[in-house]
Amino acid sequence: MNLRLPPVRPGKLAMLGVSGALLAVLWHLGLADGPLLARGARNIGVFAQDLVPPDTSVLQTVAGAMVETIEIAFAGTMLGFAGALPLALAANDTVSGRPVAAAVRTFLALVRTIPALLWAIVFVVAVGLGAGAGVLGLAMYSMGYMGKLFADAFDDIDPEVVEAVRGVGVGRLQLARFAILPEAANAVLAQTLFVFEYNVRASSILGFVGAGGIGFYLLGYVQSLQYDALMMAILVTFAAVVVIDQASVRIRRRFLSVASHTSARS
Amino acid sequence: MRTALHSEHNHVPGATRVTPGTAIAVRDLWFAYRDAAPILRGVTFDAYAGEVTMILGESGGGKTTLLRILKGLVTPLRGEVEILGNPLKRGRMGRLDPRVAYIPQQLGLIRSQSVLTNVLTGALARTGTLRSLFGLMPAGHTREAEAILRTLGIGEKAALPVQTLSGGERQRVAIARSLMQHPTVILADEFVSQLDVVTSREIMTLARSVADQGVALVMTTHELDLAREFADRVIVLRDGAVAVDSPAREVDEAALVRAIRG
Ligand SMILES: Nc1ncnc2c1ncn2[C@@H]1O[C@H](COP(=O)(O)OP(=O)(O)OP(=O)(O)O)[C@@H](O)[C@H]1O
Ligand SMILES: [Mg+2]
Repeated sequence: MNLRLPPVRPGKLAMLGVSGALLAVLWHLGLADGPLLARGARNIGVFAQDLVPPDTSVLQTVAGAMVETIEIAFAGTMLGFAGALPLALAANDTVSGRPVAAAVRTFLALVRTIPALLWAIVFVVAVGLGAGAGVLGLAMYSMGYMGKLFADAFDDIDPEVVEAVRGVGVGRLQLARFAILPEAANAVLAQTLFVFEYNVRASSILGFVGAGGIGFYLLGYVQSLQYDALMMAILVTFAAVVVIDQASVRIRRRFLSVASHTSARS
Repeated sequence: MRTALHSEHNHVPGATRVTPGTAIAVRDLWFAYRDAAPILRGVTFDAYAGEVTMILGESGGGKTTLLRILKGLVTPLRGEVEILGNPLKRGRMGRLDPRVAYIPQQLGLIRSQSVLTNVLTGALARTGTLRSLFGLMPAGHTREAEAILRTLGIGEKAALPVQTLSGGERQRVAIARSLMQHPTVILADEFVSQLDVVTSREIMTLARSVADQGVALVMTTHELDLAREFADRVIVLRDGAVAVDSPAREVDEAALVRAIRG
């Protein structure tokens, strides 16, 4: 896992090959079309003019939707956490034994292959339109993602701590409770914050599929050509994401500095 | 009641009193890592209650591996380990035998947790699983842990996180945790190798008094001085087998060096 591969030195031929492939793909996608690009540039100009000034009359609506977005992110993260922690322990070789651990890892990987937006669609179908589907969709993806992050954090703890506590004659749950969780606590907290940050961004678009949050308005304003209202919604989203990212980065740095301090060998 | 600190013979709480005799018997141990050549080839020796047994040998000679086998963390290819005449216990769900305490080279303490929590960990094998998961340690265990810490001279540090302690203090915490197991044998890998001379003598004097209570203390070391001063018995591992197994006072240093170097 910690093996560091030597830096790749791309050969000239490889670079030429990749550039050629890119051109071919762009042509295939219809982007290598001069008139189309010119029209696009003109449209963007018009669009940009319509964006300003932002329509402040929708501020209250989009701010409310942004609050709902953050609530979805928070609830999704926490529910995902509640599922991820026991699953990550179950994915640990020492706690559950190799066969069970491997099966749980596979399950987590499968959950992760489906993006949050698709999970949200699944839950829109299952429980109907609204923030509830968003929360459940986000929780599923977060569970798969955090489960993997936590399992890796558990694998990374000092093996001597695990061996010393196992040596006492503890059971597996006691091992988890008294060695693995306290040793990995800082990493787990830091990663949970990181996933929350990610989820605020992810939940901004859940509304595209009717799963609640500000995405509903982002899409609606685009479809009804209300670009000045769209601008307002984008500004609110941007502000919320920046504020939460900054706060989260700061808190995470605290945890991580503690984590690296505690994991340093004496 | 255990009022160890004040008893005339300075009994260290936790240390089980056993009649002198073989505490751990190691018979014909063979071990290899996967497809590598065997690093232990028929290791046989006894370690006795009340004695400090020091295992010497070249770096990479298999000392750490041997201790991990004696703890039951690693299964030997062949051979037996007996504690007080019966085999190492392997409990339900892979629980290891609490009669053998193990202090790894870096001590294996949980650095973010308090000294007391770390020491209480030593009693987990005799604490109900459910209770312990909720952090409800029996009051008796807490009293015992505090008494041990006092005897080891760090009673006032009980509430501090281990990461704030000095090397010598951490060493004492590791001893305290192992004593909470009521061990027959304490295995310690390179026990005082990271301490300065003065502190390492202090810790070894403590370890000596733990052994005096009837525990068999088996430790690995690179330091001949330590062996000369504190060992009752020395064992030299050479080419995967026991080259010297003798009461410490019966071998001189030159002979030891020759045995280690081969
Ligand atoms: N987990 C492992 N997998 C494969 N080989 C290992 C493993 N642990 C140790 N070895 C090898 O086994 C041999 C014995 O190692 P061990 O750590 O037991 O020696 P040691 O006597 O304790 O050495 P030192 O005095 O340096 O601590 C070494 O050659 C080492 O590289
Ligand atoms: Mg070693």
